[in-house]
Amino acid sequence: MLIGISLISFFIMHLAPGDITSNESAFNPKASEESRQKLREMYNLDKPIIVQYGLWLKRIAKLDFGHSFASHQRPVLWQEKDKNGNIKPGLIQKALPITLLINLLTIFLIFSISIVLGTIAAIRKNKIPDRLITLFVFVGFAIPGFWLALLLMYSLGVSNQILPISGLHSIGYEQMSYVTQFIDMLKHLILPVFISCLSGLAGISLYVRNGMIEILNQDFIKTARAKGLYEKKVIFVHTLKNALLPLITILGLSIPGLIGGSVIAESIFAIPGMGKLFYDAVLMRDFPVVMGILTIGSILTLLGNLIADLSYAWADPRIRRGLSK
Amino acid sequence: MRLILTSLFFICLFGCNKSQTEDVINFDEEASQESGGTLTNAMIGEPNNLIAMIAGDGASSAIAGQIFNSLLKYDENLEFEGDLAESWEVSKDYKTIRFNLKTKKKWSDDHPITCKDVLFTWKAVTHPDTRTPYGSDYQLVSSAECVNDYQFIAKYNEPYAPALETWASLHILPEHLLKNEDINNTYFSLNPVGSNYYALDSWVTGQQLKLKANPNAIHGKPLIDNKVSRIIPDLSSQFMELIAGNIDLMSINPIQYSRVFPNRSELNNKINLYKEMGNGYTYFGFNLNKKPFDDINIRKAISYAIDRQEIIDGVLLGLGEEITSPYKPGTYWENKNIKKLSFNPQKAKELLEKSGYHLNNNIYEKDGIPLSFEILTNQNKQREMTAVLIQRRLQDIGIDVSIRVIEWASFVNRFIKTGEFQAVVLGWSLSLDPDQYSIWHSSQQGPGQFNFIGYSNKRVDDLLEKGRQELNKEKRKAIYDEFSAILYEDQPIVYLYAGYGLSAIHKKIKGVKKLSPPAGIYHNDYEWFVPTKFRRNEMSL
Repeated sequence: MLIGISLISFFIMHLAPGDITSNESAFNPKASEESRQKLREMYNLDKPIIVQYGLWLKRIAKLDFGHSFASHQRPVLWQEKDKNGNIKPGLIQKALPITLLINLLTIFLIFSISIVLGTIAAIRKNKIPDRLITLFVFVGFAIPGFWLALLLMYSLGVSNQILPISGLHSIGYEQMSYVTQFIDMLKHLILPVFISCLSGLAGISLYVRNGMIEILNQDFIKTARAKGLYEKKVIFVHTLKNALLPLITILGLSIPGLIGGSVIAESIFAIPGMGKLFYDAVLMRDFPVVMGILTIGSILTLLGNLIADLSYAWADPRIRRGLSK
Repeated sequence: MRLILTSLFFICLFGCNKSQTEDVINFDEEASQESGGTLTNAMIGEPNNLIAMIAGDGASSAIAGQIFNSLLKYDENLEFEGDLAESWEVSKDYKTIRFNLKTKKKWSDDHPITCKDVLFTWKAVTHPDTRTPYGSDYQLVSSAECVNDYQFIAKYNEPYAPALETWASLHILPEHLLKNEDINNTYFSLNPVGSNYYALDSWVTGQQLKLKANPNAIHGKPLIDNKVSRIIPDLSSQFMELIAGNIDLMSINPIQYSRVFPNRSELNNKINLYKEMGNGYTYFGFNLNKKPFDDINIRKAISYAIDRQEIIDGVLLGLGEEITSPYKPGTYWENKNIKKLSFNPQKAKELLEKSGYHLNNNIYEKDGIPLSFEILTNQNKQREMTAVLIQRRLQDIGIDVSIRVIEWASFVNRFIKTGEFQAVVLGWSLSLDPDQYSIWHSSQQGPGQFNFIGYSNKRVDDLLEKGRQELNKEKRKAIYDEFSAILYEDQPIVYLYAGYGLSAIHKKIKGVKKLSPPAGIYHNDYEWFVPTKFRRNEMSL
């Protein structure tokens, strides 16, 4: 499976015209074609694609993701020590924690807000709160993120200087105490996380809402109510619990999304995350970086599917029993 | 309830924009020179590698240029002056250059700078294993040697006029730190030791680089102590950081320069705008190997049909100039005697008819083949807009033109290298040395070489070869004047415009020259300073 994915991505990547040498110095009259040919040979880019793929596979089998073609030659995945003990940080190593942090916060917020919104909408089905919530999540879904981001940056960062505009840390971050560092980072994260949340709310909250409505109409809820249970218990214990089951699948499927960042949000907010790393690598035809990210992404996708299936079985006895038969 | 609150929040957000708490500091006040302080700027990309000969990107050269010196540099009038070199002599036969280095200068780690470093750098840039695209200029040096610690001699087999320029663009690297290193992949590229005004202080990947004044700087300490370069890829975000006062300078676009600033007096109270000649020009180029562009009348007709002033007004909002030679307007190498071709559609039509074309359904055709072609350009807003204006003007006189916009790497590899294009809108830089051999000499037409439009003119070839061997400035000027004139007469490309470089600099930065010298406003940035009263609250930087 993994070999299949990597083979296809490798070939698609190499189908795109050009390579690293055509970008770094393609139109600099001081850079001669001979020097560029020399570079191509050094990176094995003059060999047939299948040979290049073989070389790549050989390295990846040893979990060696290689070095970026770009002139900094940084390791793709993890830091390396040179003979003097200096550490060159890995590209993914640096970008991944930032993206993970933002995405985890985003997913956590999306799920918790969506569950609340979805529940309210389901209880007050077709009444004003339901309508308003639906309107709100769809406006959030439809609004162009970059546009809203710029408006918010302007109103909160420039006109009223409440929040920082871009970046992850303020200048002088290293001298701050841990608490101020934490607050500083949170302040920088508010806008990016808010923007990425907004578009995700619609899907999940409607999912919760419809799941709830479906279950509220079922017989066992009628039974529960007939038993004289408190409405709170009916809603939160009997209905919500059942309505949340399908969310586990969605959660599992969003695991590979955790390492992908949004190019637009990362560019606007100047956040050095995975999205920008991948996008720049594609534009530069920096094959080792592109392939490294794709490989990790596909491993996570496969893992995510597996985890979703397993946890579904863990949460839902009906499926577990179906398995053991 | 939550919703009402949220919507109130939004209404407030966009409603309360005008409640500005404008600071009442008068940044126009004069102040006396003092050192210290921090200058913050922004870059769109992160430097790759601070060894400029290995890096290929602009961000790297911008930072590396503040850390390293070359043997020579340009003064504010773009004449050579010594950088690491105290003086230099070119031998009578133009084949030997002798550099006398400044003595008693030190790297920022206190190691002395000697000729060994220069020799090491030359060896590194010409070494076959070094991954540099810039080696070829230095391979022309047949031998180089150190006479003593402070004298470096480079010998050439043939006189090479751009030689001094090449020595002004090669950053000299410290031998003692690099001799046992693989220069392609060394930690030094992330943590360099240099000799220029600044030294690297810290580098947070993807976020910012901090430079601090180098106490050993060979030209003395600069006035500003710290320079922070933040990495902000999006230009509108940069602009917001600028008006919020979080960065002190950036280059801006024509819309910001002539639409935003004039309408916002509060910005003009704290930010100064600067306009100077830019470093590149945009042209409309023909594939001369393809019909009908091999016909000079067609090229001239197209040139007459394009309204260059209209493009400058439309695309650059007037912030650019027409050019007639590939040299920066106002500099020594520009040929000021060339008469501009003016916008003249009538003349264009006459020329087309002279070449045997006649109108059919408002489109010119010859032997049943209509005059139609495709303009190719890369994803660059200004070039796209330029192509549209050209398309419209050519349509007016009866030439059918379509436009195709392509991503850069595909553009270079699928179309330029293979010669599979008809016409392009592209740009070249306006270099400081007049040598244009690699762009216009007929031998430079191979795939990946720069005369991809296929220009070949015997006289131009002669002039370019002669110009490379002539080191006498006046004689050289005559050669390149003739070259510019022939080029303009032949119209292998239509020069469209050279845009101005526009910068916005916060008024608290003092010492910026109001009238920028030919070398640009950043030329004297070591003399810039930030008066204490205007400094940001800096946390013990």
